[in-house]
Amino acid sequence: MRLPVVDLTRTPRGPFRPDFWRSPLRGPWLTALLGLVLMIGTPIVVVTGLISNAAYQPLLAGNSIGTNLSPLDLYVFTWPTRPVWLYALTEGLHVTIGLALFPVLLVKLWSVFPRLFEWPPVRSPAHALERLSVALLVGSALFEFVSGIVVMQFYYPFPFFFTAAHYYGAWVFIAAFGAHVLLKFGTMRRGLRTRGDVMEAAGASPGPTSLAAVSPGPVTMSRRVLLGTVGAGSLLLLLQGAGGSIGGPFRFLSFFGPHGYTGSGPLDFPVTETAAAAQITPASVGAAWRLDVVGTRSLQFSREQLLAMPQHTYDLPIACTEGWSTTQRWTGVRLRDLAALAGVNESATVTSSTVQTDLNGGYVVTLGSEQVADELSLLALRVNGVDLSLDHGYPARVISPAVPGTHCHKWVSKLAFSPVLT
Amino acid sequence: MRPLSRFKSLYGAGPLHLLALLASFAIAAAAVVGWFQRPRDVVSVLIWFAAAIVLHDAVLLPLYSLLDRIAFGRVGRRAGRGRELSHLVNPTPYIRIPVVLSGLLFAVFFPVILGLGTQTELSATGIPESGYLARWLLASGVMFAVAGVSYAAAVARARPPAGSAAPASPVTTATPPASPAPTTPSAPTMPSAPATPPAPATPPAPATPPAPATAPAPATPPAPATPPAPG
Repeated sequence: MRLPVVDLTRTPRGPFRPDFWRSPLRGPWLTALLGLVLMIGTPIVVVTGLISNAAYQPLLAGNSIGTNLSPLDLYVFTWPTRPVWLYALTEGLHVTIGLALFPVLLVKLWSVFPRLFEWPPVRSPAHALERLSVALLVGSALFEFVSGIVVMQFYYPFPFFFTAAHYYGAWVFIAAFGAHVLLKFGTMRRGLRTRGDVMEAAGASPGPTSLAAVSPGPVTMSRRVLLGTVGAGSLLLLLQGAGGSIGGPFRFLSFFGPHGYTGSGPLDFPVTETAAAAQITPASVGAAWRLDVVGTRSLQFSREQLLAMPQHTYDLPIACTEGWSTTQRWTGVRLRDLAALAGVNESATVTSSTVQTDLNGGYVVTLGSEQVADELSLLALRVNGVDLSLDHGYPARVISPAVPGTHCHKWVSKLAFSPVLT
Repeated sequence: MRPLSRFKSLYGAGPLHLLALLASFAIAAAAVVGWFQRPRDVVSVLIWFAAAIVLHDAVLLPLYSLLDRIAFGRVGRRAGRGRELSHLVNPTPYIRIPVVLSGLLFAVFFPVILGLGTQTELSATGIPESGYLARWLLASGVMFAVAGVSYAAAVARARPPAGSAAPASPVTTATPPASPAPTTPSAPTMPSAPATPPAPATPPAPATPPAPATAPAPATPPAPATPPAPG
């Protein structure tokens, strides 16, 4: 059997010919400028993403996103409790800046698209490895942006577990992005210096290695207008993210964000899981409900007994992975008071389980010793002066500063305090 | 040959190039190991990873370029030949910008626009979210309207005042159609003569010299037939 022979010295027709690409807008300056924006912007998205992931305290029992931790699960600090809006900020920035950079990424890919068809496809081992690295870069960038964007909208078209796929996908991106910046930084600097429509339109050394078209078509739109359009697109998306993250009166900016919360009552703020979705039955949270508190001794409390304890009221934000957050006024018992009652006076973590855990195997969550020790960490019984509603976690829910919303358990049935061995 | 230059001639770049890429691949491989914590997920993650590249590079971007070529091909060809446009102001940006922005909004928000996440969201949050299709159409409508008004204003400004023979300036600045962005620079008007000749360095395929601005506009132009830029 003979393999078809490809003559690498002869450039095939179509997109492999440099003169196939006509847009006069492409060129080293445009690509370098978009690259500069991405070089500054994507690290913000990456770092806020990693920090937001650290907020889930994956090293504590029950919190890990994978079954085992990989070498990439580096957590160099314990999650703090101040400022109280820390998680709302990091996750809000992650989502908002990520949205705003998406148009820049698309136009950057468009600007270098002819490179996909360069001929010969491989010039040297170095070239082959670099192209492989670019494939990882483009694949991981699209994967990360698209998976993040659809999940923000509650759309899960894929069969895999989003959190782990998105987290490790981010590491593929970080690896490929780092190499790309390292190898292309000089090219970018040179590209920025070519500044301008004039030089490139005048045909400043367009060649097989230049991004500029060798025989550009007529200019139907200037490069400034192109950049302005990218800027407008970024701004449109930025508002979508920012409106939801800042919340309150700014929520209207989020034209495509959740709009169902139109009421102004004390209980009219978002939830990501209703009692119905969690299959909480009224009986399980009725008069028979008890809170188990486990430390060096075990105690049980009814809701009335909890209400009879010293109550504290704080304004704390609750922030969700989807990027929105909302600050409400919570009233309840301090977690550290409950720990003391259970005989745990030293530094301790707390693992909470819920009525849902008991009913149908919902997840358990562990908060760190900094969260337990903080005076603002509450087992909340009331919000904005009224009893919690069932959707907001009646009879009792955890609220703790700077902790992701999904780690503030609702319908709590058990709090187990474990002293930290030092 | 010295070892370094032999390495360079064999590999095609310096040793730092190789080291940077190997380090990068090692980290990426560690990430793939992370995916294997859920073995059943690995195949689907890899499929989505590859599908993202294929969908973007082989479907969406070529489709966009083709549509752009179909839509604006005529305008570009006429401008390329230095023929008089029947309009004083280049309409291309006024159409392309709102189309692109509307398309961007759809590309990003198609799950809510098409209600794909509605059931999940309703069961999770208890909030029936709807009406996003109308919101997207409204946003698109506003952008097209702003572009239309800007275009009309630009045409009015570009029209020569009564009595004068030619437009005062071949390039007038017009209100940008994309009003949401204060940063949007103004859209230039299309000069009726090719003030910016395309690629003087490389003449178009036919041997006939490309008609410069001063050449008499022939009835049958050399027709470089340059397809317009896939914007």
